[in-house]
Amino acid sequence: MRWLAFLAALLWAAALGAQEAPDPRLTRAADEVTLAYVITGDADVDAASEAGLRGLSQVLTQRTTVEPGPPVGIDPDSDDLSLLTFLYWPVTDSQPAPSPQAYVRMNHFLRSGGMILFDTRDGDIAGLGGPDGSAALQRLAAPLDIPPLAPIPADHVLTRTFYLLQDFPGRYQGNPVWAEAPPAGAEAAEGVPFRNLNDGVSPVMIGGNAWAEAWAVDEGGLPMFSIGAGFDAEHQREMANRFGVNLVMYVLTGNYKSDQVHIPALLERLRGEEMSQ
Amino acid sequence: MSGPAFDPLLPWPLVGALAVLAALVALWSLWRGLRGWLLRGLAGLAVAAALAGPALESGIRDKLSDIVILLDDRSASQDLPGRAAQTDAALAEMTRQLAALPDTEIRRVTVGDDPDGTALGAALTRALAAEPQGRVAGVIAVTDGLAHDRAMIPAAAPAPVQVLLTGEDRDWDRRLLIEEAPAYGLIDKPVTIRLRVEDQGAVPPEVAQAPARLRVALDGEPLRGLDLPPGVTLDLPVVPKHAGQNVVSIGFDAPEAATPELTDRNNAAAIQIQGVRDRLRVLLVSGAPHAGERTWRNLLKSDANVDLIHFTILRPPDKMDAVPVDEMSLIAFPTQELFMERIKDFDLIIFDRDRVRGILMPQYYENIRRYVEEGGAVLVSAGPEMSTVESLNLSPMGAIIPARPTGRVYDEPFLPRLTEDGQRHPVTAGLTGAPVQGAPANGSGSHWGRWLRMSQVIPDPRAQVVMTGANDEPLLILNRVGKGRVALLTSDQVWLWGRGFEGGGPQLELLRRIAHWSMQEPDLEEEALLADVSDLGVTVTRRTMDATAGPVRITHPDGKTEDLVLTEAGPGRFTARWTAPGPGLYRLSDGTISRVVALGPAAPREFEETVATPAALAPLAEATNGTVLRLAEGMPGLRSVREGRPAHGQGVAGPWIAITPRDAASVSGVTHRPLLPGWAWLALIAALALAGWLAEGRGRLLGSRA
Repeated sequence: MRWLAFLAALLWAAALGAQEAPDPRLTRAADEVTLAYVITGDADVDAASEAGLRGLSQVLTQRTTVEPGPPVGIDPDSDDLSLLTFLYWPVTDSQPAPSPQAYVRMNHFLRSGGMILFDTRDGDIAGLGGPDGSAALQRLAAPLDIPPLAPIPADHVLTRTFYLLQDFPGRYQGNPVWAEAPPAGAEAAEGVPFRNLNDGVSPVMIGGNAWAEAWAVDEGGLPMFSIGAGFDAEHQREMANRFGVNLVMYVLTGNYKSDQVHIPALLERLRGEEMSQ
Repeated sequence: MSGPAFDPLLPWPLVGALAVLAALVALWSLWRGLRGWLLRGLAGLAVAAALAGPALESGIRDKLSDIVILLDDRSASQDLPGRAAQTDAALAEMTRQLAALPDTEIRRVTVGDDPDGTALGAALTRALAAEPQGRVAGVIAVTDGLAHDRAMIPAAAPAPVQVLLTGEDRDWDRRLLIEEAPAYGLIDKPVTIRLRVEDQGAVPPEVAQAPARLRVALDGEPLRGLDLPPGVTLDLPVVPKHAGQNVVSIGFDAPEAATPELTDRNNAAAIQIQGVRDRLRVLLVSGAPHAGERTWRNLLKSDANVDLIHFTILRPPDKMDAVPVDEMSLIAFPTQELFMERIKDFDLIIFDRDRVRGILMPQYYENIRRYVEEGGAVLVSAGPEMSTVESLNLSPMGAIIPARPTGRVYDEPFLPRLTEDGQRHPVTAGLTGAPVQGAPANGSGSHWGRWLRMSQVIPDPRAQVVMTGANDEPLLILNRVGKGRVALLTSDQVWLWGRGFEGGGPQLELLRRIAHWSMQEPDLEEEALLADVSDLGVTVTRRTMDATAGPVRITHPDGKTEDLVLTEAGPGRFTARWTAPGPGLYRLSDGTISRVVALGPAAPREFEETVATPAALAPLAEATNGTVLRLAEGMPGLRSVREGRPAHGQGVAGPWIAITPRDAASVSGVTHRPLLPGWAWLALIAALALAGWLAEGRGRLLGSRA
């Protein structure tokens, strides 16, 4: 009888072992907000993404209550995205398109509240008629369920989730950044300085400002890439960092900041009810 | 029917032409002075008449019997004391007298109870339509006259309508009349029920001015008593106490009098007011932006009935950057106002990974504790910060949090499971995809997905642990504090279910139920006695955290009691089906919980008015020469009168009523006999012609001789 019990215990242990433990990097991503990037296969680009997200994580930790862990590189073909919230995807020409299964997972990720930031990193040359990242972007993003996009309007909640922003610079600036288009007929509510758009978060954002390169810091905490020249350069880097902070806040809190304008009205109503009672 | 008929041998114009020709010939003869002109003319007309083929037709008549409709009102109001006996006696007597009349048939029509009351008019109309108009000799209705379909009472009938009214002259009744009652009401906001007490019939003088002593109860709990004189309208304020059905029962005892009132069934009413929550106000405090925060927002914002005030700490006080304030979008929260002055206005406060940071003052937490004890609701979704020195447990609010952290955090995947209590508790019972007992905790997708982190806690012994996580440590703990409720989720990773990690789980449903349980939604009460009413059938469900549920005692409107045994239908659910014998207010009780259900109208329409009245049928009786007689004044005799004569009167032996025999008959055949046979016509024509000829000829001879 004893050996039978032993055998049963062995089988039980084997059954327990069979349950796959989730990837520890991703477990950590679920525990703390962790910024993730797509591994493109281009070593320079991947290193820049990693350094960029690390730099942004440092900025967040220094200035806000969000304290992300070290960034995580994601291979869309093999990694489960459901533990992630934010994915940075630099677009390169050489990058092979992920498998159809990976696109199924990514579409689920977008539907369930995740966000992908596509960065074509061509803000310096885009729109001049030469070869830019748009062909590669189309190749990579076509299988995704992406809603209609529009350049981010000036009253988008992203412009005020933490800092007040007018532009979304990275290493380059002045290029439009695209997000989910506001639904037709969204009008400014009375007494509200902006429209109440997209109750939720745009599943994708697309731009070409090479943000990771603006955020990137080396081991010593110094910027890895030069931006422009002179005093304006450091200002632009600061603005890029502010955009990064706003973006992460937007991903995490949605339209929280849009709602805040209603709070005085709600409180007013509470007071009014007290008067009438 | 009988009479002449024609069967012309030639078309009518030819016959007519022949007759005209004969007349012309006669006139011409007259002008010529022929003496036989008349005979000649007659002969010609006789030819025309013969061609027209005159005949005699006669029908075969059968005498038909007269029909008397005997209307027998057996509605519930006819069951009042004495009326049934009166009705039986009148029907027997009328039947006997009608049977004595020759050629008279009785059509008996019985009117029963209808959901809309007594459909006397409809029954009468239908009975009249079913009989040939020419044979109906009379209608005799034995009823209390309480028809609820006056519009259906016909305006006229082919024969006298005689109404024999049941009831006594001294009948009287006092009733409760609900003039206006709302179907919905906001919880804790008064609604107004307008009612009045009304006296009918020959009210004894000692009762007439005495007020009725009204008893008002809400869900079976006595609310207040008050005196209301008859005829005075009262606006009664009632405050719905909870969501769902609030049953207000109002009633008074039958007044004391020498002659008791007809019935006490119309002395009570039950009004069902659906309690509706005003907009829910939820205060959500997020300690830091994190991946699960939007889960809370989506849950609360998807409900249009929730006013959400959300409060996220984006920057702690100990962090600073050199950015000028006007380039930042951070605003200070009106914490003093929210947590001190307005806290009572919130239905629910959710702490989502909140930690004590020095933003909320200790007295705020103290105030939250008081808010819960006075009936508020708090939900804590705790991350690892719960196990740190910034734990909410270490604030003055810690006293009401239903578990104490040990400081240990399990950083490993685990499968949330329902405990024994959890399978019974309405917050977690029946959540789809729950892992069955003993299922391996892998991500196979056949059940919920795993979560990845939780804090170890020691639950309050009074609290209920309904879900467990890693190492069967408590994951979801529910507790009551004072009049309020607190729920604690020891993990912040419920959002993984929403994300579909390893298949996910019913995250929205679980959070919704926790929130509504905290707000004391009656649908999620652990100990509940539910009654699902359909018509007179009741499905009684007892939900309990105990292993057994005793029988439910049902108290009938008349005070009779009956025990209903419940059978187990699932974990913590015991049900039974029961059908009430009649409408009214029934009280269900199992010793701890009681509940009042109103089945059908408390005072059915039949008992709204009970004093017999001729008002409804009198116009019809008058229009048809009939009358309304009270049976209490004696049984009338029955006579036959001719149509159009008064069909009622006062005889030596007492009043009489009459029917009008119609002398109806049917024709079952027709005989057709020619007026004269053909040879007779021939002889007639020949004789006339010959006579004319002779007259003229002989006349000439006579004339020549003379």
